[in-house]
Amino acid sequence: MEKGYLALVLHAHLPFVRHPEHEDFLEEDWLYEAITETYIPLIDVFEGLVRDKVDFRITMSLTPTLIAMFIDPLLQNRYLKHLDKLIELSAREIDRTRWLGQFHNLAQMYHHRFTRARQIYCGEYKMNIANAFKKFYDLGVLEIITCAATHGFLPLMEIERRISVRAQVRMGVELHRKVLGRNPTGIWLPECGYTPGDDEVLKEFGIKYFITDTHGILFGSPRPKYGVFAPCYCKSGVAAFGRDTESSKSVWSAVEGYPGDYLYREFYRDIGYDLEFDYVKPYILPDGTRINTGIKYFRITGETDEKEPYDPHRAMEKAAEHAGNFMFNREKQVEFLHGFMNRRPIIVSPYDAELYGHWWFEGPDWLNFLIRKIHFDQKTIKLITPSEYLKIYPRNQVLTPSFSSWGWKGYSEVWLEGSNDWIYRHLHKTVERMIELADTHAHSHPGDIVLRALNQAAREVLLAQSSDWAFIMKTQTHSSYAYQRTKNHIYRFSRLYDEIKSGRIDANFLADIEYKDNLFSDIDYRMFCRT
Amino acid sequence: MNKDKLKKTQKDKLVLLARKSDIRGAHLMKKERLIDVLMRLNIKKIRTKKDLKAQTKARRMIKNMKALPQVRMKARVIAARPAVNVPAPVVISKIGQQRVEEAKYYTGPAHTYARQEDFQFPAGYGDNRIVLIVRDPWWVYAYWEITQDRDGEIRHQIGQKGLVPVKSILRVYDVTDVDFNGRNAHNYFDIDLTGMANNWYINVGAPNRSWIVEIGILANNNDFFVLARSNVVRTPRFGMSDIVDEEWMCLEDDYWKMFGLSGGFGLGKASLAMREMFKKRLMQQISSGAWSGAVSSLASPVKKRKVPKGFWLWVDAELIVYGQTEPNAKVTVQNKPVTLRKDGSFTLRFALPDGKQEIPVRATSFDGDDTRAITPIVTRRTI
Repeated sequence: MEKGYLALVLHAHLPFVRHPEHEDFLEEDWLYEAITETYIPLIDVFEGLVRDKVDFRITMSLTPTLIAMFIDPLLQNRYLKHLDKLIELSAREIDRTRWLGQFHNLAQMYHHRFTRARQIYCGEYKMNIANAFKKFYDLGVLEIITCAATHGFLPLMEIERRISVRAQVRMGVELHRKVLGRNPTGIWLPECGYTPGDDEVLKEFGIKYFITDTHGILFGSPRPKYGVFAPCYCKSGVAAFGRDTESSKSVWSAVEGYPGDYLYREFYRDIGYDLEFDYVKPYILPDGTRINTGIKYFRITGETDEKEPYDPHRAMEKAAEHAGNFMFNREKQVEFLHGFMNRRPIIVSPYDAELYGHWWFEGPDWLNFLIRKIHFDQKTIKLITPSEYLKIYPRNQVLTPSFSSWGWKGYSEVWLEGSNDWIYRHLHKTVERMIELADTHAHSHPGDIVLRALNQAAREVLLAQSSDWAFIMKTQTHSSYAYQRTKNHIYRFSRLYDEIKSGRIDANFLADIEYKDNLFSDIDYRMFCRT
Repeated sequence: MNKDKLKKTQKDKLVLLARKSDIRGAHLMKKERLIDVLMRLNIKKIRTKKDLKAQTKARRMIKNMKALPQVRMKARVIAARPAVNVPAPVVISKIGQQRVEEAKYYTGPAHTYARQEDFQFPAGYGDNRIVLIVRDPWWVYAYWEITQDRDGEIRHQIGQKGLVPVKSILRVYDVTDVDFNGRNAHNYFDIDLTGMANNWYINVGAPNRSWIVEIGILANNNDFFVLARSNVVRTPRFGMSDIVDEEWMCLEDDYWKMFGLSGGFGLGKASLAMREMFKKRLMQQISSGAWSGAVSSLASPVKKRKVPKGFWLWVDAELIVYGQTEPNAKVTVQNKPVTLRKDGSFTLRFALPDGKQEIPVRATSFDGDDTRAITPIVTRRTI
């Protein structure tokens, strides 16, 4: 019998970056890269595990914006086009590198990966990545949880908090149900941002648990008896699972983390930057700006600019070694805790899904090794999902978790500092106005165009709230895209607000933004009603 | 036609142009406004009728929307005050006749909208309010907006009492477990506001307390006149709670053991040290956006490798081998088949390392009867 459990939680998220108005749009590449490098490789790993009858459990959040992009036909087709170009480039690379043995093998590896990705993408899932994850969800090996509609950072929704949080959560739950076929049991609070009381909203939607950072539990009150190694119930009855620090560090830490190993692939050496201009021109931006293509031939090597060629075999051995190390440490951890607690502990290890494959190229393989090792090589720990743990241990301590996030410094500072603090006065006002509109039209039956305008206004409110814009403003010197997005959504909302109030709705304008911001087709503006 | 060119054009010509574009009342407009209107029509040249025709579509659209007052209003409203939801002044001209004309076309604030590109975030919304948000256990953030009217009203009150306003301040109240009525806070401190500040990071320095902030004016007798009062916020606790649940009680040491294990610093540390270690733990970048990220979940798609310091150069060489034969022939290069284009031509591009490369190219006719072979030999030497 196992002595404890490990819950691996992957948080998959991208903001809504769909730009039908442009043929090529740099930010859409975020989605394409993540599909090629993370989502499809993960699906590939899951397929292999199921094929080999390896029992496993992974918990994964698919954010509503991500799902909205997965199911969007325009983006589905654009991704295929993108992938076909990659396949073409990798085929040319096979020729070009004929006299460079190591690189030649790598070119073949990429060509194989991309054609395999195409197979997976166009095969049984019919270009819809959500279908793929749903398959494993239905098989019971993958627990998909939801997230706030646009990944809005909930703690900063100070004005009209209850309605704001409810709208974000409701839209997420509804899309989850619509696309994945059932009510989510858990939620990933964006950036793990938790404010006491928000759990009451989660309860309204039948959500059983959420994840907090370590201090959400540790600083909770009354004091937690088991630290983060057992969930706690909020007063609402919704459970909070705290993040384990030790296992987080071994993957996340830039200093001690596995992904920095010298044998692993170097992220920043991409042929999009390295090769002769005319040759790569068809695969970079139309204006000639070089970007990553995804084909990278070097390994991290060390603190040097003289990078050595990547050796996939040695990297795989290292990934297996790291998986073994991770498992060993969790076994030790569980054994110790088990002797200490009068129950089997749970270790919750959440990561950004995009870390696996996109940044840490070998990440999906590491995960594959880890899951197989846990299944075949030991008996101390077992993979579990949070909802399964709650079934085994339905009795847990009741406490109020502390306000916290998993952002740098543990609170709101990443999203509230000099570069981005100015947005909140506008976001707050936008919500207030949306509530005003919703209340005004709460019981009336607005005509078709007014109804459309109200629903679109609600979409614009949610889109403006994405935590990603504030995050990009902070981390990037060139944050014009994030600034522009905030501006666009506030503008679109404000204009609709005025037009709805004055009764003069510009049909062309409305149609245009419905076409651009087309997510959440079933949105109901009444979710912003006060009553 | 760009703005500068229009500026250089005589007003008479502009009026003519505007008339041709069905813009009424052009002669009454100031030149600047006229240019604005014409810019919206996106007229490329002044003279040719053809060009004007080409603009028919745009013209109609704008005409339908009753372009003239709209454009005027846009210029005014955007420049002078918040564009969003401020009821646009219906009449802005000094001339009576023009007033009437404009009012006739005015269709309500919905049409005062600037295009998206021209949109500016409003400087204010006409509110008198101050809002508090928690940043972390020690800091809260306040933003506010006070209208001139409100400010004037309060200053008037101060004056009526025979007092003199001295400075604008934020008064920060500790209202922990208090239903605040303006006088029952545990204590407060003031922050002098400088310049045109409309937001402030306030170091309250105390976790697990509740706060309210008032913005107002301090008079010369130290009386405080409130302009607006904020919402209540509570800074989060930093450290383990003192409250113990009997049902989930254990030895004090055991709580701390779990604390240390959860935080990843093991056993046997004193509780004070634990707290400090936890602070450090939060400073570590072990979560979303730990690395240079475009989106929190993705590393930057545009970051380049470091450019070496100082002067630098690197050189590499590649080789292009190309040729042509009958389109239905089979071609191999170094014994590997090559795909021919429709015209029978082919191109191969090779990274060329130092050393000698023999590149036998062999073409065989479709029926296998004819064969041709050519072998370029290339040597690269880098010194």
